[in-house]
Amino acid sequence: MVAPKPLEDEIRIGVFVCDCGLNIAGAVDCAAVTVFAKALPGVVCAVRNKYTCADPGQNEIKDAIRAHKLNRVVVASCTPRQHEPTFRQCVREAGLNPYLMEMANLREHCSWVHPGNREGATRKAMDLVASAAARARFLQPQQELSVPVTKRALVIGGGVAGIEASLQLADAGHKVVLVEKQPSIGGIMAQLDKTYPTMDCSI
Amino acid sequence: MATTTLETFRCMMCGHEYQESVEKGEDKERSCPKCRSNSIRHLKKKAVSDQRSAKTT
Amino acid sequence: MPSTYVLNMNDCLGNNPIACGKCAEACEQNAINYDDHDEILTREIGAIIVAIGLDVYDPTEMDEYGYTRFDNVITSMEFERLICAGGPTAGHFVRPSDQERPKRIGFVQCVGSRNPKIGRPYCSNICCMNTIKDTLLLADHYPDVQNTVFYQDIRASGKSFEDMFQRSKEAGTRYIRGLPGEVEEDPETHNLTVTVENTTSGSLERHELDILVLSVGVQPPKDLAKISSLLTLSKTSDGFFMESHPKLKPVDAPTRGVFFAGFCEAPKDIKDSVCQAGASASRAGALLNTGRIQIEAITSRIDEQACMKCGQCAAVCPYGAINWKKGEVAVVVEAACAGCGACGATCQFDAITMRHFTDDQLIAQVRALLELEPQDKVVVFACNWCSYAGADMAGISRIQYPASNRVVRTMCSARVSEEMVLEAFRCGAPVVLVSGCHYADCHYINANRQTAKRMQRLWDKLEKAGVRPERLQLEWISAAEGQKFAEVMRQMEELRKTVTMEEIEHTRHALQPKHKKIPEKKTATAGAR
Repeated sequence: MVAPKPLEDEIRIGVFVCDCGLNIAGAVDCAAVTVFAKALPGVVCAVRNKYTCADPGQNEIKDAIRAHKLNRVVVASCTPRQHEPTFRQCVREAGLNPYLMEMANLREHCSWVHPGNREGATRKAMDLVASAAARARFLQPQQELSVPVTKRALVIGGGVAGIEASLQLADAGHKVVLVEKQPSIGGIMAQLDKTYPTMDCSI
Repeated sequence: MATTTLETFRCMMCGHEYQESVEKGEDKERSCPKCRSNSIRHLKKKAVSDQRSAKTT
Repeated sequence: MPSTYVLNMNDCLGNNPIACGKCAEACEQNAINYDDHDEILTREIGAIIVAIGLDVYDPTEMDEYGYTRFDNVITSMEFERLICAGGPTAGHFVRPSDQERPKRIGFVQCVGSRNPKIGRPYCSNICCMNTIKDTLLLADHYPDVQNTVFYQDIRASGKSFEDMFQRSKEAGTRYIRGLPGEVEEDPETHNLTVTVENTTSGSLERHELDILVLSVGVQPPKDLAKISSLLTLSKTSDGFFMESHPKLKPVDAPTRGVFFAGFCEAPKDIKDSVCQAGASASRAGALLNTGRIQIEAITSRIDEQACMKCGQCAAVCPYGAINWKKGEVAVVVEAACAGCGACGATCQFDAITMRHFTDDQLIAQVRALLELEPQDKVVVFACNWCSYAGADMAGISRIQYPASNRVVRTMCSARVSEEMVLEAFRCGAPVVLVSGCHYADCHYINANRQTAKRMQRLWDKLEKAGVRPERLQLEWISAAEGQKFAEVMRQMEELRKTVTMEEIEHTRHALQPKHKKIPEKKTATAGAR
C-alpha cells in the first residue's frame, strides 16, 4: 500500500447530489441525502442540484471548488459509465485533477430499481454517498498516458455495411483496410435479387 | 490424449452436489446444473481416484 | 460471387503445371498466378469497424416443414437465386421437382425467428418485408400466381413499408394468420399440402401449394465468437454484439476504438445497415482525426522496496505486462498494462498499487458501506464492464429488486482481493457477492479466471474459520443481463435473511487476522525476509 493515509485536515470534499429531475428525487429523499453527506468526514460542502450534469449544475461544482478550496469532488448522480467523462472534464476545468472526482450511482443502481421503496432507496443512497466520500479521501491525482492514434482504419467484413463504412472513411481522407474472408466482397446483399423497398436489384 | 479426472462440485447457492469429468487445463465457466448459479465450489478430491482416459479429444 | 475468376486452390492441379496448366495457356493476359497464396499482413490500425454480418438460419431442425424431405420446400435465399436473372434458371421461376413454373406459392414466416423453443426468441426484422417484396415480384412477373403468406404478425414499420404491404394485398396475396403445423407432399405430383390453424377465423385449414418458401430468419455469424474474444466485445442475449449504450452510443463497442456496422449488432435491413455504417465511419473518423488519445490512468505500479521477487504478479497478468526474472524485482510495462488489477489482488506483500483502484480506496468503501447496520446489507463487488453494467441495465430497464445491496465497483473482478472480501465479513456483512464477466466476455482476456480461483481459496478459508462458506457467492453477469442481476439480488437478499446476528458476531472474531498481512505489518514482513 503506497498511498499513505491522508491527513484529515488536508481533505476538502464537496458532495453534489443530483435530483436528475424526478429520476432520482422521485424515489430518493435527496434533501436528506445532502444533509447526511454534509456530516461525513472530510466533507466541507454538500449541494443539491436539479441536474448536476447541466451547465448550471456543473457551474455550481466549479464555483464550489473555488469558494471552498475543494480538493475532492463526489457527484451523486448516475452511472459513471455514462457521465464520468463529463464530471472529470468539469473538475479539470476548475483546476482539479480529474481523478479527484468520484461518483455515486443513485440512479441506475438506486432510484430506478427501488421506485416503491423511498425509505430503503434513501438509506441506500446515503450509503453509496458515504462509500464514494470514503473512497474520495484516498483518491490521488493521476497523470494519463497520451498515445498517438494510427491514422488507418480496419473494417472487418465486406458486406454492404463494411463497404459503405470503408467508402465513407476513405471519402473523408482516411486510409482503410477492408478484410473479407470470401473471394469477393458483397456479402449477403449480393446474393439477393431485388431488394425492398425500392424493388431494384441489389448490386 | 487428454487427461480427464472425475471431480466433485458443490453449488454454494442451492447445495446441489455433482460430479463431472474435468479435462486437464480446461477453461470453462461453471454453473449449477440444477439452479444455474455460478457459485460452484470445487471440492477437494477425497476418495475419487484419478483415471486416465484413453479417449482423444 | 466474384466478378473475376478465382482459382479454387483445393481443386486446382495448377501448382504442378505438368498436371494441367490449361488455364494459363488459354489466358492471353497472363493473369493466372499459381504461386499466389494466403499471406499474413501486419498493419497498424487506429480504429476498427466490425461489420461481420450474419448467417442465414438453416431450417433443417424444423422438420415439420419438410425442408430436407420435400424438393419443393425451399428457403427464401434459394428463392432469390431462382428469381434472379443472373441465377441458374436465368430468372425463370421454376420449382425444383419438375422444373415447371409453380402457380400456387406459399410463404411461411418466422422460420427460425420469434421461436423460443429452438432458442431463437428474437425477431429477424427483415423477413416480413422480404416476403412482401417476393409476393410483389411474383405478381408482377406472373399475373396468374396465387401467393399465400402464413404469418404470426406482419411487421411493416419502416418508411413506405405499410404501403408495400397494402400493394401486396391488392395484388391478390392472401395473408393467413397462423404458422403451419404440418407440411405433407403428394408423392405423385410433389405438390404440398399445408395444415394451418387460421387464428383469425379459428378454423383448421388445408392449403394445396406447388411450392413452399420458408422465410428463414437470421442468426449471429459463426465467426462472432472469434472476433468477440479478439476485441474483447460482449454479446446481448440474442447472440449479436452488444453496443456501448442502446440509445446514446448505438454504434460504439464497449472497447474503445471499436465500432459496429450492420447486422452483427442486431438484425436490420439494408437501409439501416447503410445508416449505421455511416454512423460508425463518422465515429471512427472522429477518433482518427484526434491525433492522440489519453489512456485512463488505471495501471499498476510495483513498489520496489516491498517487492519480494516472488513473481506471482507476473504469473497472473493476462497481458504479460509484468517483467520478472527469478530473484529480481518485478517491473510493470505501463503501456502494456490494461488495468485489470489481478496482480494487485494477488500480491501478498502489498507491493502493488493499482492506480485509482487502490486497496485503501476499496477497503474504505467497504467499511463505509457497512458502518451502519451492516446486518441489513448485501455487499456486491461488481466489475465495470459486465456486472456493474448489468446492474445499470437493470436500472435502465426499471427492473425492481430489494434495496439491500451495496455495490463496490472495480475494473475487473480479478481486482477483488481476499482481504477485501474478508474485510467485508469482518465489518459485519452477512453475505458478499463477487461478480464479473462471463468467461467469454472478460475484458481483460482471462483475468476473471483469477477471480474463480480466489473464490475457491476463500470458500476454503471461510470453512476453516467456521464461517458458512455459502455466505460468499460468485456470479458471472453480463452487461446485457439486467434480469439476471436483479434475480441474483433477490437470491442474495433471501440468503442474507438466513444469517443470524450471532453468526455475524462470530464471523467478526473468527476472521480477525492472526499475525500477518495487515497493512501496518508490511515493513515487518519485508524485514523478516
